[in-house]
Amino acid sequence: MFISVMGFTLGSRVGLTWPEKFVKDTVGFIQYVFYKPARSVAGFFEDVSDLRSLELENEELKISLAHYAREKPKYNAMEKQNEQLKNDLKFTEDQKNLNNYDYRIAQVVSVNNDASNRTLVINLGSRNGIKENMSVTSTEGLVGIISRVSNFTSTVKLLTSMDSSDPKSKGISAKVEGKENETFGIVDNYDEKTGTLLMTRIPLDSPLKKDDIIVTGGDGGIYPKYQIIGKVLSRQKGDFGMTYTATIKPAANFVDWKELFVVFTPEVKE
Amino acid sequence: MARRYIITLLLFILFIIENTIVVLFLPEAWQTRIVPHLVFVVILFASIYDHRHVGLILGICFGLLQDVVFYGAMMGQYSFAMGLSAYLIGLVFRSRRSSMSVMMIAVIVGSLLLDSILFGIYTLFKLTHETYAFNLLDHIVPNMIVQVIFALIIYVPLRRQIEKMATKRTKEETV
Repeated sequence: MFISVMGFTLGSRVGLTWPEKFVKDTVGFIQYVFYKPARSVAGFFEDVSDLRSLELENEELKISLAHYAREKPKYNAMEKQNEQLKNDLKFTEDQKNLNNYDYRIAQVVSVNNDASNRTLVINLGSRNGIKENMSVTSTEGLVGIISRVSNFTSTVKLLTSMDSSDPKSKGISAKVEGKENETFGIVDNYDEKTGTLLMTRIPLDSPLKKDDIIVTGGDGGIYPKYQIIGKVLSRQKGDFGMTYTATIKPAANFVDWKELFVVFTPEVKE
Repeated sequence: MARRYIITLLLFILFIIENTIVVLFLPEAWQTRIVPHLVFVVILFASIYDHRHVGLILGICFGLLQDVVFYGAMMGQYSFAMGLSAYLIGLVFRSRRSSMSVMMIAVIVGSLLLDSILFGIYTLFKLTHETYAFNLLDHIVPNMIVQVIFALIIYVPLRRQIEKMATKRTKEETV
């Protein structure tokens, strides 16, 4: 009986049934009540131990703020120009809004205690407009996608469950930041032993090199554009010598959860 | 009978705690490795000092709860693994007068059994590709150690409570 339940739920299901939703929401609410104060207490101890590195961080932040201030007028001007060009080329409203993503902040409610099947629960649900397969990021980078939604909570499946030999696990089309037009690859596997992601199908003439930042390419639908995935650690010849593969250190560290952001892509009207 | 409901309620609170608070207070480097199933330890106690059927039912219920709340790729694996291993441990160590060392051995065997069944299920459905040896060192043994320590802490109060519960029930049955 259990084997059949496992087999049934392993396949693609449309949504959850109401008893599942009810249990999930109830437990989710209670977990939230527990997680919040514990988070603040743990956060306090962390703050105390972080006090020393604060000065260094402050300096770094000041530098990056200066960078930001310098880039901002340039960015504004380019955005204006881009918009103007889009208008001139008579883009439709949908095409214009294609890359306007909306980020909504979500609190982590609880973390699964299973090393092979890592998921976590956040406090946004279908009432907040969450749908399955939306992607979730932290302040550092891409974290995972929403796997199940109930009314007030939803479950996030982490990138660490990505697996190239599983036909249902979808790869992410990826590009190198700053060289979006010349680079391409597919991030489709996570190695539990080394804690790295694998990017495959990189063309031989690709300018990808060590320490490049990998971002999502936005092709293929599920993952939105320009979400940071990680940093290239090394690149090797692929299986058949026709392509390269690259090992990537994920930007998100998958531990010590704080706030997460759910990326809302604009709705395409049918 | 009220005591039984209290124990179930405590199990539920423990279930909440192990997924929220325990995770937060672990050092970052261990967070992916130490993922203790504290609820399972208490279920083992119930399985040995009360009755194995109690362990089976509690295992299935709390396993299902875990499955529904953390539904990633599939569900049912915890329900199956926790129910089965609690029942088997109850069957093997069935003496109600088990001493502390026997109980600790039961916790060790039970933890290994639970994680091994889970590993078997994940391998069967191709959700993990690591070898058993890697999993053993990565999280099964660290988990087992944490669970044994937890069992040592709760041993005295929990055993007293469960035995009171069990003797009360046998009295009710004989009357």
